[in-house]
Amino acid sequence: MIAVLGLVVGVVVGLVVRPVVPTVVEPYLPIAVVAALDAVFGGLRAMLDGIFDDKVFVVSFLSNVVVAALIVFLGDKLGVGAQLSTGVVVVLGIRIFSNAAAIRRHVFRA
Amino acid sequence: MSDEELPERAVTPESDGVPESAGAPERAETPGHSGAPEPDDAPARPGKTLPPEVPAAPALDAGPAKPAPGETGRQRLLAGLWPPRLSRAQLIVALLLFVLGLGLAIQVRSTSDSGALRGARQEDLVRILTELDNRTQRLQDEKRRLETQRSELETSSNQAEEARKQTEQKAQQLGVLAGTVAAQGPGINLTIADPKGGLEADKLLDTLQELRAAGAEAIQINDVRVVADTYFTQGSDGIEIDGHKVVQPYRFKVIGNPQDLEPALNIPGGVVQTLKKEQATADVVRSEKIVVDALRPSKQPDYARSSSQ
Repeated sequence: MIAVLGLVVGVVVGLVVRPVVPTVVEPYLPIAVVAALDAVFGGLRAMLDGIFDDKVFVVSFLSNVVVAALIVFLGDKLGVGAQLSTGVVVVLGIRIFSNAAAIRRHVFRA
Repeated sequence: MSDEELPERAVTPESDGVPESAGAPERAETPGHSGAPEPDDAPARPGKTLPPEVPAAPALDAGPAKPAPGETGRQRLLAGLWPPRLSRAQLIVALLLFVLGLGLAIQVRSTSDSGALRGARQEDLVRILTELDNRTQRLQDEKRRLETQRSELETSSNQAEEARKQTEQKAQQLGVLAGTVAAQGPGINLTIADPKGGLEADKLLDTLQELRAAGAEAIQINDVRVVADTYFTQGSDGIEIDGHKVVQPYRFKVIGNPQDLEPALNIPGGVVQTLKKEQATADVVRSEKIVVDALRPSKQPDYARSSSQ
């Protein structure tokens, strides 16, 4: 419950405060958000499976974000930033979908 | 995160760990796609996930939703949701979700409110910039061209205006000379009375020549404008000027410098004395405003054409 509250508060704060994102971070933010979403869906699924561990969640969340940002950074340096971020988004999207499928199975039993 | 959590814990109890991470989604999807019923999935899931769960469970201090192994996912979800428990796991997850929500909101906002350029990549931006530069260049060129054209037009219209003015002025001057326009200015009135009628045309011509020599610019005798081709005729019944009969007294309206005209007539042996010898009287009056308003029609020459055109 508190976790859900945290998400809501984050969105509200982000919309209300309108923080200025430093230009350096800007290109990595979308990918990082998608990676974090993947981590959250994974965590939700783990919770439904009854094997949730906050330590693992934290580590996977942070590492997901960092690795995603790193890939985009590397891609930009190599000149294939656009393609690489597309690839990352595709992979993360597939994972999110599969996790969502598992969650759906738990919640709706279908 | 299940994909990473599963292997970590699953490694020890089960070699299923690695496939679990990659396989779990597959298993979750395969039945869905192939239409294989839930029973296949449902038993398979507890069968494979529970073993890691059971040994792992005691090791976990978090386990926010794990009262009983037999509990379903939905129950765990509800249990995790409603009675809000203030545990370390909840707080940490809340913090991370807060960060996620923040990033989400920032990204959504920055994508939605800053137009198409925000998401554009560097090459696109460079291309757009180049296009804009080219466009600016083109527009600048066009502006310069149009400005040049405008100034040319202004100059030419100024020149045309100037030329028109000069032409008009010249036409006026020539009109005064040709007698087609009225003229006014300082000058003298010369009245020659000849009650005896002894005056002949050559005397009037002498008077006219004297006036012209003194700088007369426009001359009218009675109602006849005197111009370059004016002629005097001595008829049987009087004097004609340009075919018009004139009778005495002869009134000369002369525009010119009065200080030149008057002495020119009055010099000893001049016009006035000569006329007196002829029994005529000449009366010269200076005036600041003489109006020569007798006109003659302008005549287009039949043969002569301007050679300057």
